[in-house]
Amino acid sequence: MATVEERVKAVTARKLGVDEVKMSDNFTADLGAESVDSIELVAMFEEEFGIEMDEDAALSVQTVGDAVKFITKVCKEQGVEIE
Amino acid sequence: MRLILIDRSAEIRFNFFPLALGRPLWELRCGMSCLKEKLVAKIKPDDVAYFVPDYMAEHYRKQASGPVNDASALSGADLIIVDPLVKAGDFNVAAKGKSEIGLNEDGRVIYARISKGDAKRFSSRDIEGFIASAKAGLPGVVCKVPTWQYTWDLVLANPEQITAEFSAADRSGIDGAVEEPVAIRGNKKSVYVARGAKIHPMVTIDAENGPVYIDEDAVIQPFSRVEGPCYIGRKSILLGAKCREGNSIGPYCRIGGEVEESIIHGYSNKYHDGFLGHSYVGEWVNLGALTTNSDLKNDYSSVSVMLDGRQSIDTGSTKVGSLIGDHTKTSIGTLLNTGSYLGAMTIIMATGKPLPKYIPSFAWFVEGIVTKGFGKGRLYETARTAMSRRKCNWTPEAEAMWDAVFEMTSPERMAAIKKGRKTLVK
Repeated sequence: MATVEERVKAVTARKLGVDEVKMSDNFTADLGAESVDSIELVAMFEEEFGIEMDEDAALSVQTVGDAVKFITKVCKEQGVEIE
Repeated sequence: MRLILIDRSAEIRFNFFPLALGRPLWELRCGMSCLKEKLVAKIKPDDVAYFVPDYMAEHYRKQASGPVNDASALSGADLIIVDPLVKAGDFNVAAKGKSEIGLNEDGRVIYARISKGDAKRFSSRDIEGFIASAKAGLPGVVCKVPTWQYTWDLVLANPEQITAEFSAADRSGIDGAVEEPVAIRGNKKSVYVARGAKIHPMVTIDAENGPVYIDEDAVIQPFSRVEGPCYIGRKSILLGAKCREGNSIGPYCRIGGEVEESIIHGYSNKYHDGFLGHSYVGEWVNLGALTTNSDLKNDYSSVSVMLDGRQSIDTGSTKVGSLIGDHTKTSIGTLLNTGSYLGAMTIIMATGKPLPKYIPSFAWFVEGIVTKGFGKGRLYETARTAMSRRKCNWTPEAEAMWDAVFEMTSPERMAAIKKGRKTLVK
């Protein structure tokens, strides 16, 4: 099974149409995500991992690395198997 | 004699969603007033007491002039309990007389007239218990007074209600300011411009087919055309609007573009061009520029509406527009299909295509699908901002009520979000 990092990067690349995604990338400044993209990214992460995320907390995440940490935490809290 | 208004049946309330989500049924408008005002004008009680769903009691208590969900209001006076959906014009039951209960053919209590003495016998901790005791202990009579069944009934009856209430108000003439040239067509006795209202130059008021009542401090800006029957509420502004027949607008609304046979509650804006027809719009709604709804199908068949996102209800009418809940905002260029339902607190970011006919409450419609968006916290912030701009307060009681609505409407919202996700991950 792919790691959380690999899955987050794959979803991000697919949604935002970028070739390369780094852990340090900021969704807005580096990857060009607009507010509408953020909403869809949250939806796609929820679908990818089978989790429910609090909107305010999820949308306050700035970088890909933070998203990986946040999603890992939520998966553990909600008993979703990862890696 | 005390009028008791009860709105506790979830089944009946459902037929008036999304408008009833944030208010009791008697606060729905039709013609020049709300249903409560019509009943009070007809029955002329000494005072009124209210029984509303528990989740909105605290919020409504802040607005109501009488007791809310207070069982002590069921004693100490002769009572007349009336179904708030009764068509007041057809309610001809004497408020005083022997105690009795009027039931329709389904056994629903349409009214109960209970003397002060009899009321003591039915004392109960809650209104449901009181009604059950009264039903068992009083003679029942068959009552065939018609009732409002759905929100669109109010819209469809709006022109005739305006005409009837204009006659009852018995007012005509110009108490406000009219800046010439203004064209008044039809019978001038069918026009009333209240004190403080301003009619700017180059306005046409057409009362040929029905009366026009422009309430206090309303402003009708140049190039507006107002066709009767029409009621423009206090402090509302028409901005060069084509205000076709049968509209009830306001108070405190700002209306432009073309509007026909629609009811718009207070503090809602439709500033710009775009058509709104045969629709019922809640309060604090903002319709973005070029938001347009269909109110007639291409094949002229009767319009159906979904109130729960699953089952269509045939309205039996060929003309039904949109039902739009409180605090909903549409983006520029939003296109609404015939018989659309936009829940309360929804955000619509249009894509250019007509929207799905059902958008649940608290949904963010983004890129063609229903999402959770930025959540309800952001919606509350927007509501707080919009209200403070008009010197109104977003209260803890309002927030608690909308929190309850958020929970109540969660199943249909989650179903719509799930459906959208399937599109998103394709």
